[in-house]
Amino acid sequence: MHQIDLPAQTGFDEMLDRDHSIRPHYKPFFDWLNAQTPAMLGQRRKEAELLFHRVGITFSVHGDESGNERLIPFDTIPRIIPAEEWQLLEAGLKQRVAALNAFLHDIYHHQHILKAGKIPAEQVLVNAQYRSAMCGLDLPHNLYAHIAGIDIIRHGDGNYYVLEDNLRVPSGVSYMLENRKMMMRLFPELFEKHAVAPVEHYPTLLLSTLRQSSYADNPTVVVMTPGHYNSAYFEHAFLAQQMGVELVEGRDLFVKDLKVYMRTTAGPKQVDVIYRRLDDLFIDPLVFQADSSLGVPGLIAAYRAGNVVLANAIGTGVADDKSIYPYVPDMIRFYLDEEPLLLNVPTWQCRNPSELSHVLANLDELVVKEVHGAGGYGMLIGPKASKAEIEHFRDLLKANPANYIAQPTLSLSTCPTFVEEGIAPRHIDLRPFVLSGNTVRIVPGGLARVALQKGSLVVNSSQGGGTKDAWILEA
Amino acid sequence: MMLSRTADHLYWMSRYLERAENLARLLDVSFSLSLLPQSQGARAEMRAPLVITETLDRFSARYPKITAEALLQFMALDRDNPASILSCIRHARENAHAVRGKITVEMWENINATWLEAKNFEANGIANVGDFFDWVKARSHVFRGIAYGTILRGDAYSFIRLGTFIERADNTARLLDVKASLIAQANKENPQDAQDYYAWSSLLRALSAYEAYVEMYREGVEMRSVTELLVLSPRLPRSLCACLDAICKIVAQIEGDNGRLVQREAHLLLNDLRFTEVDEILEHGLHEYLSECLVEINALGNTIDEAYLRVA
Amino acid sequence: MHLEIHHETIYRYDTPVSHSVQLLRLSPRRDPDQTTVHWQLEMPGTTDLTIDAYGNEQHVLTLDQPVTEIRIVAQGVVETRPPIPQRDVIPALVFRQATSLTTADDAIKAFAHNYQRLIEKHGRHGLMDLMADLLDHMPYTPGQTDASTPAQESFAQRLGVCQDHAHVFIAVCRYLGIPARYVSGYLYTENDHHVASHAWVEALTDGAWYAFDVSNACIPDERYVRLAIGLDYLDACPVRGLRRGGGAETMVSHTRVRSILHFQQHQQQQQQQ
Repeated sequence: MHQIDLPAQTGFDEMLDRDHSIRPHYKPFFDWLNAQTPAMLGQRRKEAELLFHRVGITFSVHGDESGNERLIPFDTIPRIIPAEEWQLLEAGLKQRVAALNAFLHDIYHHQHILKAGKIPAEQVLVNAQYRSAMCGLDLPHNLYAHIAGIDIIRHGDGNYYVLEDNLRVPSGVSYMLENRKMMMRLFPELFEKHAVAPVEHYPTLLLSTLRQSSYADNPTVVVMTPGHYNSAYFEHAFLAQQMGVELVEGRDLFVKDLKVYMRTTAGPKQVDVIYRRLDDLFIDPLVFQADSSLGVPGLIAAYRAGNVVLANAIGTGVADDKSIYPYVPDMIRFYLDEEPLLLNVPTWQCRNPSELSHVLANLDELVVKEVHGAGGYGMLIGPKASKAEIEHFRDLLKANPANYIAQPTLSLSTCPTFVEEGIAPRHIDLRPFVLSGNTVRIVPGGLARVALQKGSLVVNSSQGGGTKDAWILEA
Repeated sequence: MMLSRTADHLYWMSRYLERAENLARLLDVSFSLSLLPQSQGARAEMRAPLVITETLDRFSARYPKITAEALLQFMALDRDNPASILSCIRHARENAHAVRGKITVEMWENINATWLEAKNFEANGIANVGDFFDWVKARSHVFRGIAYGTILRGDAYSFIRLGTFIERADNTARLLDVKASLIAQANKENPQDAQDYYAWSSLLRALSAYEAYVEMYREGVEMRSVTELLVLSPRLPRSLCACLDAICKIVAQIEGDNGRLVQREAHLLLNDLRFTEVDEILEHGLHEYLSECLVEINALGNTIDEAYLRVA
Repeated sequence: MHLEIHHETIYRYDTPVSHSVQLLRLSPRRDPDQTTVHWQLEMPGTTDLTIDAYGNEQHVLTLDQPVTEIRIVAQGVVETRPPIPQRDVIPALVFRQATSLTTADDAIKAFAHNYQRLIEKHGRHGLMDLMADLLDHMPYTPGQTDASTPAQESFAQRLGVCQDHAHVFIAVCRYLGIPARYVSGYLYTENDHHVASHAWVEALTDGAWYAFDVSNACIPDERYVRLAIGLDYLDACPVRGLRRGGGAETMVSHTRVRSILHFQQHQQQQQQQ
């Protein structure tokens, strides 16, 4: 028997029930785990680390000079999700992304939802993420977020909640794929005991989604990266290679006759779809940030002429902005005439004076987030913060209330995780990747992130988070 | 067909590695010659690597005079010297890193390991000069072997090979040119001194051509035959003629129609090398002939850049 | 009014430019109060016409052969009528987004507060007061600022040219919650010394878009020809380009705007010649 630290009574643990019995869907895994010696498991963990280093699954190449790169810690205990729970998640995700795409199309055209008074127009149109360059532009299939990463957590009440929508350049899918590969290599016997839904076809689905996004016959697809100093460069190169398409930088592309071409050894070759992994503001120095050397001058003109597809579209950030997040359930009702299947976290908008005063009165219990923040930065976790930190945020909130939202501190569910002392519960989340083409498709699972510090709720890899394989059990 | 930038990285990856190897070969000769007790031309010998790499000014600005230690420090492991072996290896590795997905895992791991080992030399110093030069050559050989043995035949492989042969042609021409003028100079100053043999045979050894020479000429080592072998022999892998022959074959295989000018220039150069007699070269003047060759090789490099590699 | 416009811009480079792409907003807008009688653009290389999100005509000029000089000539005749308030092309609220050139700092905010009440009460007339006072605060002073000078800087220096005036006016409006947009275009003056290439502002007040020319402290009329509108100078300027190579650049620009008094007669004469 392994010593497994018990989870807190108040929280939800993915493996252990409140009475500390093993949840049924974890039973076969638990039995297998108990049959393994700690030495053997330690050996396997070392093996995994070595393999990740060799293949170069690294997260940051800063200080590349050294020839060493950082690894995101990988935990070998999977997050297991039963089939019926996934079915609900999958349906909810499809619904949500469909509504978000409808919203993006609407706000860049007729603004029905604003005119209907469902969302204050100001919050959308004066938003720094709203791109005037997109106004009136018709996109193939009216699709904006071809690739969405939706962050989902399970609360102490056992329910799944959407914590955040990522519609700009969501990353992490390469870890999902590599984690699975690693688990199958380390513990092949586990995959005989469990019917784990496969994820390996993600690159194929991604390529077909990207190809469907263009009306061109046999479109040429490329992956566009800011370059190898970007922290997600590994993923850009990985996806390009897995899809068998070129990995381009801005300087590889040029615009002529309102078409986009890449410079190749055999001369210019037209590009139809750009899976771009850099932010809007860097993409065309003639329209956005003038000093960006990462983009392609004239790209937006070609885009507006309909001669190239950008995936994701420009200006999707306005829909995943934290100030817009509270309205997603209303979007689902407005565009789809359906009730939302997934829960939203209750959110206070500090821009509204009454909500602000509630937030200020309860700072020690709430999580406060910057509207445009990401990566776990610019955020206050009330119950874990010092007095000084709380007072600092109080000042920030008063100075610029519209820049913040607040939410109750959710107790992210825990999952047993290897730590120095043995196995202990750590908080986790899940980022499934939703692909929108002719249909909406999701590979079962996603990137499972884990906060490795005891008690920590921050799962971001930039702040010491690790990853796990996420298993969706087939029904 | 591949991205011009990718081709550029592949091409320069192999050029820089080849350059590191040639530098090791060159320094090896300079060192062994400068150690000969009777050598009057020791200083001139040690100047040679600086002349060939066009770094004499940079060197003089930092070191009061040319000593073996200073030269080794500067040419082998000096990070601030862009022409040092360490810098060449670093550039090769950086180029490889930028196209990691386009080379095999073995190639990447090898060139990355070379860089890490080079940094060890940098940290710990060079215990034995000869061993260090052998190490550089060996790493270059191994990388070429891995490329040959693992990578898909296609444009990527073509650009890797193209880089090797352009760099090699350039280096062989430079080396022969500088050595020949050093020997001529020495002969003028000390006509009775018989250093010729050592000088020419060390050049042959530097280019791994000594065995070939002995097999083909079976006579004393002298300028005419050395020139013929290093410039005109299609059979010696480091000769100008062999390099140009390889370049012509590689370019013919590159996909697309961008290479017309490259092919024309390479074939003109190859034809010249194929149908020239060594006596014509000597009559024309070896230095003049090699200078012209270097200009043309450089021009060919530019044409390759324009045709395939240039990214705005 | 019929205005005959000749606008020539020449860029010269120390060394050849190997590749360049320019966005040209050099064709008069098709708005209800101005009609293009004829218009012609002369430029090297290939160009393509597009319409941007603001409804501006935009030519994309691509040069991929080395050049040391780029000469662009825009010329033609535009008929202008007394201005009528403009309607929205894109949602008006978008013109409340602050850009880096139009961000209000504390000094601009303090200045703006003085006009809040006035504008709330008198709308357009309040903005006219703001316009006049702003020119007093930062008199027209050429040569001290450039195209990249943000509003807060020229405001602090208390000087500027038309684009600085426009940027500060826009910053004030947006800070006060009034949508405001940058307009670039031509201005006819009887005095030939005046710069004919001009910039001003349109603000949404009293239910429509009204124009304000801060540099001349006046309300634009038939003497004004609109080329482009946008969030700021970068969005609406006549030429925005990027090049590779070329070394230092010198730019010479001449604009001439003449009024043709008897246009019909003028045209007949031209045909007879």
